[in-house]
Amino acid sequence: MDIKRSYYEDIELFKSSTILVWSILFLVFLGILPWLVKTYHLLGMSIYVVNLITINALVAIGLNILVGYTGQISMGHAGFFAIGAFTTVIFIVNWSFPLYIALPIAGFISSAFGFILGLPALRLKGPYLAIATLGFGMTITTIIKHMEFFGGRMGLQAPKLYLFGTPMKDIHYYYVIMIIAVLMVIGALKLIKTRVGRAFIAIRDSDIAAEAMGVNLTYYKTLSFAVSAFYTGIAGGLYAFILGFINPEGFTMIMSISFLAMVVVGGLGSVMGSVAGAALLTYLDIKLQVVQDIPAIGPALVAFSQKYMSIAGISNIAVIVYGLIMILIILFEPLGIFGFWIRTKRYWKTWPF
Amino acid sequence: MLKKAFVPMALVFMTVTFLMTTPVLAQQVRGVTDTEVIIGQTGPQTGPAALWGSVARGSGLFFKGLNDEGGIHGRKIKYILRDDGYQPPKTRAIATEFVEQIGIFGVVGCVGVGPGMAVRDYYTENKVVMVSFGSSGVTNWIKPFNRYIFATYPLYVDEARGLTQYLFEQMKLTKVAMFYQNDDYGKQGLEGVESYEKEKGLKLVASVSAEVTERDLSSHALKLKSSGAEAVIMWAMPTHAALLLTECAKIGFKPHWATSSTLSDGPLMMQITKGLWAGMINSFPIEPPDSNSPLMVKYRAWHQKYEPNERWGSYYYSGIAYAEPLAEGLRRAGRTLTPETFIKAMETLRDWRGIAGPFTFTSTDHQGAKYVYYAQVQPDGSMKKLTDWTRITK
Amino acid sequence: MLGQLIVSGLAVGACYSLLALAMVIIYKTSDVLNFAQGEMAMVSTFIAFTLMESYHVPFQWAVILTFLFAILLGAFFELVFLRQAKEPTVLGLIIITLGFEMILMGFAGWKWGPDQRSLEFPISNIQTYNFFGLVMSKINFWTIVISLVLMLILFLFFRYTKVGIAMRATQQNQLAARVMGIRTKWILSFTWAISSMVGAVAGMLIAALGVLDPTMMMDPLLKGFASAVLGGMTSLPGTAVGGAMLGIIENLFGGYVSLAFKSIVAFAVIVLMLCIRPSGLLAKHYVKKV
Repeated sequence: MDIKRSYYEDIELFKSSTILVWSILFLVFLGILPWLVKTYHLLGMSIYVVNLITINALVAIGLNILVGYTGQISMGHAGFFAIGAFTTVIFIVNWSFPLYIALPIAGFISSAFGFILGLPALRLKGPYLAIATLGFGMTITTIIKHMEFFGGRMGLQAPKLYLFGTPMKDIHYYYVIMIIAVLMVIGALKLIKTRVGRAFIAIRDSDIAAEAMGVNLTYYKTLSFAVSAFYTGIAGGLYAFILGFINPEGFTMIMSISFLAMVVVGGLGSVMGSVAGAALLTYLDIKLQVVQDIPAIGPALVAFSQKYMSIAGISNIAVIVYGLIMILIILFEPLGIFGFWIRTKRYWKTWPF
Repeated sequence: MLKKAFVPMALVFMTVTFLMTTPVLAQQVRGVTDTEVIIGQTGPQTGPAALWGSVARGSGLFFKGLNDEGGIHGRKIKYILRDDGYQPPKTRAIATEFVEQIGIFGVVGCVGVGPGMAVRDYYTENKVVMVSFGSSGVTNWIKPFNRYIFATYPLYVDEARGLTQYLFEQMKLTKVAMFYQNDDYGKQGLEGVESYEKEKGLKLVASVSAEVTERDLSSHALKLKSSGAEAVIMWAMPTHAALLLTECAKIGFKPHWATSSTLSDGPLMMQITKGLWAGMINSFPIEPPDSNSPLMVKYRAWHQKYEPNERWGSYYYSGIAYAEPLAEGLRRAGRTLTPETFIKAMETLRDWRGIAGPFTFTSTDHQGAKYVYYAQVQPDGSMKKLTDWTRITK
Repeated sequence: MLGQLIVSGLAVGACYSLLALAMVIIYKTSDVLNFAQGEMAMVSTFIAFTLMESYHVPFQWAVILTFLFAILLGAFFELVFLRQAKEPTVLGLIIITLGFEMILMGFAGWKWGPDQRSLEFPISNIQTYNFFGLVMSKINFWTIVISLVLMLILFLFFRYTKVGIAMRATQQNQLAARVMGIRTKWILSFTWAISSMVGAVAGMLIAALGVLDPTMMMDPLLKGFASAVLGGMTSLPGTAVGGAMLGIIENLFGGYVSLAFKSIVAFAVIVLMLCIRPSGLLAKHYVKKV
């Protein structure tokens, strides 16, 4: 059913009219989502959480381009995130750029750093590349911490933005972020089908063979880092505004690792998978602590803690559950959430058999 | 027929109830009903900063005891504690939950500068009163002036200044070095020390910093030793304090040690430094753990009754110290409770004492804590008061 | 001061190299980066602590029981989690170790609370040995000795015993190894068990040098990983070399230039070394064939 009969069919974004219809419905859904969330307290979320999920999804997509499509690894993406955040704020505060100019600039500066990080990647693989990227992430945050220009240790306050005269609230940010995100998702989906995207996949599958076939490794590997950094930088810039305040300590290695987890849990090599992974992990991260409030289980846990464990650490149960969920998803479906989706689709398609 | 429709009807019914998980708040003042006042706190219960989680639990103990005594003006305090793991995005998410879903009247505590700064403006916009916000002495809470924030922790800058002054004037030590950790807390301590030194025309003989996650302080200790300091002021966390003292003992460096109130947990520090903590000079804004003041006795009784498994550490009961002014403000505001009446009530506090030093709030000054006292750690782990309450803020 | 910095660097490097050793053992056999290494060591150390504090078990027996626990923990993890993964990708396995790390960290935080503790150790950290005016605490000295001895034992084990060769065969090609009659599943469990035990040794020594709390292994793990990479992920002697180098470079830079950028420079140096020798200092650089 997925046979493509011509090249142009293959690179089409909407494979069939069904997908087109569902996509439009989905966009409509996104449009009314803020109203839904506000009125029905959907799953206990708030618009802020939806914004955070979207931003994390952007980072995950960027990281996915690097890890899922080009087969590299990065444990330092919090560095690009930080660069994006700080650059955007500085451009707006110090030099009065408007947001829609400062944000792309931040993205490009971030991708410049991505390019720099891509250079050692040319020779390194696996754990070696992981350490290099990790070091990069640490370097960025430490340098930011020590330069007064970036607010030093105290961090920077993101300025209040005004949309046509009214101060922006969560819901205004929602639409700005969502529009940017949708554009960038379409960009990512299209990217895979272009020559650049195919070069990435070729590098992932076997870089030596790819080089033998004429794919310029240097160019494409660094480009992959740069594009990935671009996405992350833009996400970082948006992050600075929904949070309101950024300081270098907030961009930890733990953040880099959670980005990586989002990509893998969601599904390597799938844009929608990254979005799903980001959504699930961000939501769990924020909401799991309500485990303590569940009527029957909560007090049972408290009683258990008092007898055998320390009462001080009871919130750690959320951490345990989070780790367990991560493991279970990978155990049962190495392709991540996207893998579940594919399997479900296949199951329904071939149901009588 | 009805049976067939039953299952989908039940499903619809359950979905709708599930979607409307929180009742829409109908009261006039958010967080205040006839029988309850809702107070929230975020704190790092998990993660690298978890040792400050006990602050939030201490406040919880205080409210529990208060409720058992009958509450305030016929209202009990409903206390909601959430874990933010010291991560600002989480704090912000919880803040949104507090304001938009649960509907709180005010917050107490909320440890941390990063987390606090992420939510400070959001709370201010939504008229949430914040007592002891950040439960730390950084200047972010009072500059710029914010009507809704009531700071009850002495500023680190002032505290460091006062400590340096004490060392200089009372102990006649001129060669002072400083060890601080590389974040707002440490930096502001450094600022305080340096401001005093500049006034007296002195300089620090060494100023050594360490990253928060650093676990090897051998080169830091060496640097301190080679500077020939007579006294070292430490502005760090328990782990670093223990590591540094050990390293210095190893290389035979024995200066006078002085540190801030964040390392006030004498018994814990004695244990993890294996006794090297004796002789440390602390500045304190709250009564020592074994003090016999009537309030401390009462709170220790509450602790025994409700949470005997929790350690009576200084972070834990500082949570009580942060919540006390909130209770006093609620009392003074009277039965009609709104953010405005609360703020006006708080601004009437003059030299009011709970288990912490005297608090004073005015309509232009919401930094209430201006006093500390100095104590020295004895070989058996107890604290001996060296001075009485000293004013450290001009 | 130079001498003292180097000596301290060696001491701290020995801790890193123990952790690096544990990570390299696993990498040599199954190509997996074990991010849960630190937390596994930490939990084992807490077990030792509880045995000594609450049950008053004498030190030697506590150590033996802790090793037993660590072995079981490693084998448990491999059996229950890693083996169940169906056709996992390498990244997937790494994520599983990350998940396990979170579970362990949460468990430790839950069971023992976040307060710092102090581990009782028969060797003191304060009393020192003096060589030509340079001091090294007793524990530091014995850490170096223990790490070298362990590394040597494992090196000989890998190279000359049947099980060691079986382990290397499993890494190179698991299917071929099974065809040749090697019980690969048992080998994998065994590897994890040994690695966990080495980790427990590292954990106890690090706790003895500093404080014991649930987050104590986060930084050492990172440095241990960096040391392993520096020395070569498939080279056991490389762990000792990598650890020592990392410790010394950090200390020298910290002592002479700036303490604030200590770790950054260490990482920068590692990246530079990697650019020159992409597989680490002492490892053989395998060129993949297409």
